[in-house]
Amino acid sequence: MKPTTSLLSFGLRGAAITALVLTLGTWIATGSHVGWTQTSIVQLQHDEITGIDFPVHKDAFIAGVEVLAAGLVAASAFAVLSFLPRLRRVEAARF
Amino acid sequence: MKTTSIRSALLFAVAFSATALASQAASQSFDFKDPKGVNNVQFKLDAPLESITGTATGISGNVSFDATNPGAISGRIVLDTASLTVGNPVMGDHLKSANWLDVAKYPAITFEAASIANVRTQGAQVLADVSGKLTVKGVTKDVTVPVTFTYLADKLGARLGDEKVKGDLLVLRATFAINRNEYDIQPGQYADKVSDTINLSLSIAGAAPRS
Repeated sequence: MKPTTSLLSFGLRGAAITALVLTLGTWIATGSHVGWTQTSIVQLQHDEITGIDFPVHKDAFIAGVEVLAAGLVAASAFAVLSFLPRLRRVEAARF
Repeated sequence: MKTTSIRSALLFAVAFSATALASQAASQSFDFKDPKGVNNVQFKLDAPLESITGTATGISGNVSFDATNPGAISGRIVLDTASLTVGNPVMGDHLKSANWLDVAKYPAITFEAASIANVRTQGAQVLADVSGKLTVKGVTKDVTVPVTFTYLADKLGARLGDEKVKGDLLVLRATFAINRNEYDIQPGQYADKVSDTINLSLSIAGAAPRS
């Protein structure tokens, strides 16, 4: 029983670290945007004849704070769950 | 004596009509439906986390403009509300929903010019305050907007990439603000999440072809 519990805890901690690294990595790689997630970006182009600057939309994924928050919550949840088997063993040993 | 009076009156009438016709001929009608997709309106609302910014390109309408008499401008600009775009798709859906702009029920934002004042020239540009009726979400209000007119004679062909096409361009630029409460856009609601003031920046070009 003990090795199975350890494996579960180990797996959950691994998932927590993976979620944390993936979330932070994605957020930093897409520009550390302190705003809402964007699925397109606007690039201004210049029309030579009229002199008008006009927006051109391009598909892009920029992770926002909600992605960061969701990833951190998931990583925290995995980390907390990984300690539950140990807490149960402590409770069982007490009674 | 009587014949002379009639002749004078006729001459005066002919001269007056000719002047009126010449005046009308000098005024050109510029079509603001832009096949190149350059015409745009940018909007911005302050919000706690980040400003909500977006663009709209569905612009149409006609403006009558006389380069020799810019004070005689008239016309109507229409913005297709479905063309409003923001970077966040969820935010975009909210913006177009019945709670906010209700794009399905109110497909257009219109500005109808009624009068022009404070006309002055600055280089090749004409600056003026254009007053008219702005209709947003079915609510019409009188507004005065500072507008910059740039008349580009014989530039239509260059813009279309076909020098055989003859015509002129008129570029309008305006930056102004409206209050969303006045246009029934969630009046008195969500003041902590989004500002009441909507900043608008308009850059549009109209074409007047000549045969």
